[in-house]
Amino acid sequence: MDPNIKEYDVIVIGGGITGAGTARDCAMRGLKVLLLERFDYSYGATGRNHGLLHSGARYAVTDKESATECIQENMTLRKVARHCVEETDGLFITLPEDDLDYQKTFVEACQAAGIRADIIDPAEAKRLEPSVNPSLIGAVRIPDASIDPFRLTMANVYDAQLHGAEALTYHEVTDLIINQNRVEGVRALDHHTGINKEFRAKVTINACGIWGTLIAQKAGVTVNMFPARGALLIFGHRVNNMVINRCRKPANADILVPDDTVCVIGTTSDRVPMETVDDMRVTPQEVEVLLREGEKLAPALATTRILRAYAGVRPLVAADNDPSGRSISRGIVCLDHETRDGLAGFITITGGKMMTYRLMAEDATNLACKKLNVDKQCETATTPLPGSEAPEQLSKKTVAVMAAEGRHGTLTKAIAETTDVVDDALVCECEHVSVSEVNYAMDNLHVKNLVTLRRRTRVGMGTCQGELCATRAASAMCRKQEQAADVKADLASFINERWKGVQPVGWGDNMAEAQLTATIYEGLCGLNQYAGKEDLK
Amino acid sequence: MKFNTVIMGGGLSGLTCGIALAKAGQKVAVVATGQSSLHFGSGSLDLLGYDAQGAVVTNPVEAIKALPESHPYNKVGDVAAAAAQAQTLLAEAGIKVNGRATANHNRLTPIGAVKPAWLTLDEYLTFDGDKLQCKKVALMNIIGYLDFPTKFIAEGLRKMDVEVEVKPITLHELNEARKSPTEMRATNIAKVLGNEELVMHLAAEINSKAGDADMVLLPAVLGIKNDALAQLLKEQVRVPMHFVATIPPSVPGTRMQALLRKRFEALGGTFLNGDRAVKGTFAGSMLKSIETEKLEGTKLEAENFVLATGSFMGRGLVSDYEKVYEPVLGLDVDYIADRTQWTRDNVFEAQPYMEFGVKTDAQLHTVKDGKVLANVYAVGQVLSGNNKVKLASGEGVDMLTAITVANNIIKK
Repeated sequence: MDPNIKEYDVIVIGGGITGAGTARDCAMRGLKVLLLERFDYSYGATGRNHGLLHSGARYAVTDKESATECIQENMTLRKVARHCVEETDGLFITLPEDDLDYQKTFVEACQAAGIRADIIDPAEAKRLEPSVNPSLIGAVRIPDASIDPFRLTMANVYDAQLHGAEALTYHEVTDLIINQNRVEGVRALDHHTGINKEFRAKVTINACGIWGTLIAQKAGVTVNMFPARGALLIFGHRVNNMVINRCRKPANADILVPDDTVCVIGTTSDRVPMETVDDMRVTPQEVEVLLREGEKLAPALATTRILRAYAGVRPLVAADNDPSGRSISRGIVCLDHETRDGLAGFITITGGKMMTYRLMAEDATNLACKKLNVDKQCETATTPLPGSEAPEQLSKKTVAVMAAEGRHGTLTKAIAETTDVVDDALVCECEHVSVSEVNYAMDNLHVKNLVTLRRRTRVGMGTCQGELCATRAASAMCRKQEQAADVKADLASFINERWKGVQPVGWGDNMAEAQLTATIYEGLCGLNQYAGKEDLK
Repeated sequence: MKFNTVIMGGGLSGLTCGIALAKAGQKVAVVATGQSSLHFGSGSLDLLGYDAQGAVVTNPVEAIKALPESHPYNKVGDVAAAAAQAQTLLAEAGIKVNGRATANHNRLTPIGAVKPAWLTLDEYLTFDGDKLQCKKVALMNIIGYLDFPTKFIAEGLRKMDVEVEVKPITLHELNEARKSPTEMRATNIAKVLGNEELVMHLAAEINSKAGDADMVLLPAVLGIKNDALAQLLKEQVRVPMHFVATIPPSVPGTRMQALLRKRFEALGGTFLNGDRAVKGTFAGSMLKSIETEKLEGTKLEAENFVLATGSFMGRGLVSDYEKVYEPVLGLDVDYIADRTQWTRDNVFEAQPYMEFGVKTDAQLHTVKDGKVLANVYAVGQVLSGNNKVKLASGEGVDMLTAITVANNIIKK
């Protein structure tokens, strides 16, 4: 065999939360792991949801299995992913147009699933969450929370690497190497070099979310997916401090989640053709639905600036003929293609939710271990992720260090320990990102361009959407003079990427900000002269 | 309070109009929010940098003739004369600029791109074509100042076949300022460097670092009130030295804004800062008075009114989910009714919303409910038909339409 081709125990395809979690679990069980991601970590549905740490209450009535998984994982992630979770609690509110009888069904179903659900007086709900629609006629308090999916994914990747795993971004699997009904590895295209590479493994795990159906096709097996697209809106500040849900059967735009400095309303749910799952632009119709329904949860949304719109595609596993996908189980599907299709060395882990990624990873890893005759128990439910260990007292407590602590947990030590005052200079004033945090992310968190930097540090995610900070960040990322033209092209691409999310909500303050951005980047700077590079992913 | 003319908006267009009218002996009031697009300025003023097809313009006066009929320059009349009047107005305000309306020069942008310009402040780098008058540039930046990306600028300079050496410089006082991470912005640095003694120290630091370079380039972080300190530094540096614009906030723009205001007030104008017009009282097609946010109960009465409130970014135009409107007087606006047509998918395409603005007649009178308002004019970016970003025409439209309206009012 070619000595240049590397051999692993397991190749995990997909750098979303499921793949990252699976890579970590496999590595923690002593397996030799390679994680391959076609673009950047959290590029797909992982980075395109509410950031909600579900209590499971939403599914209690319609999908008990999923609800039970949710509440178990909710309690686990609060411990092992402490630095990614904000304990907000949540409300399920009944509005005058909703059926108050449903509340009883809902509370009973929650209790049956093991979810604490306390009926509270509407007046009490208004006191707890002043932004809630004051016309509510019923409220139930449940243990929802918010979670940062970008941070969670990176913490899993980082820990997988600490346990010896290798991880490659911008490596797209082009086909699987199959020999006599056995998957023996993959071929992947390195998007940065254009080189095709071969990687061998005893077991290959397909953890590609909605794109998993395409990977399965390459292996010659069928995994029928149901692409359910969901659109969301981000508002310019944090209107609510508790998660607000509608107490009714899951429908459009009935969850409002506070995340960091903003809040997010969503989602819609529409079955879309598989060919469109890479087209993430939000339509005017989706925006209209989200606004109309969202205002019913918190009327203040009507007068709050919408920062941007985004959409993701849920990897539901097709079941019946349900046009919205709302009634499909969010339960985990772990397929052993050896027993199912007679194809050895290949596992698909899909279905589920971001919430239950750790369980999905455990299932997939258990199956891989069984195939490899490895007998080691899963420890991810009890071992904290890097950044979530018991907090240390940091000597330096600037605003930027505190902000970084929110993003990187105990790993902030490396950022705070810089001695050069230049490194304290702020790149992004909305989100308090310092030069040293940019450097840290570049050195440790697989940052390849401005979009990946944004996912790691929140640069450009605040109210200004990168108006001024993007140039500073780009300049901080440009380490060698030869890279300058390329980094400027990246900057142009980044500004265009930000626009994609703003355009569907391009009125009011957003139009004023868009004009200012154009005035600065095109008028003052001439950045358009560097435009034309393919979109950053 | 009674005036001959009340101007709503105190940016470049409002102040230009105010200065021209005050100089002609009118009693003028300017209501200014304190925000001006000059704060995002480059140190240069544009007349017409690109034509409607996007090609670089060498002679703006000529190229303006080919603009579509809807462009506000078509209401200026003699463009060359108005441009000359604008240049005189700047000089009288103490804003020393170089350039001609018949021949654009080039400027270097904060990220090292080259763009055409009409007028540029005297201490700022300009050049013709892509030739700098030097062999080796010392590109200096203040340590810890992030709004002057030297690698980006060096890349632009090297494309013009000059050797570039990046030199970090500092002063004790700047090290102190740097301890607060948000202090290192251009306007703050300009305040720190706001006296002659420090400028002399800075000159010594530059001279010690310039090596064998035959040109020194520095970020535009000096001279926020006037050009005295910037000129002093230039004299003290042993080789030719020029400023290059930074990422905003803009020191040269802040300076221009301050000098224009000073000139306006010196001519007897009333500058109501930190306020905005909120509504008007009409008698038929005549505006009688306006009210402002702060002057509660007091009406500003005048024979003529000028709307110089800017476009969307100046809040002179406002859009919502359904429409685009002019928020002060409810004037008629040229825009596309279908919201999905306001923007294009690629941010660098010509965006239709950039051309939205208030409707005017040939004399720049505004229109309300289909009727021309005989004593309400509009100037600058609030006018429809001008994509200032694509055409590089912002300051030219501001100043030339302001001068045209001032002349139209004076002629009455």
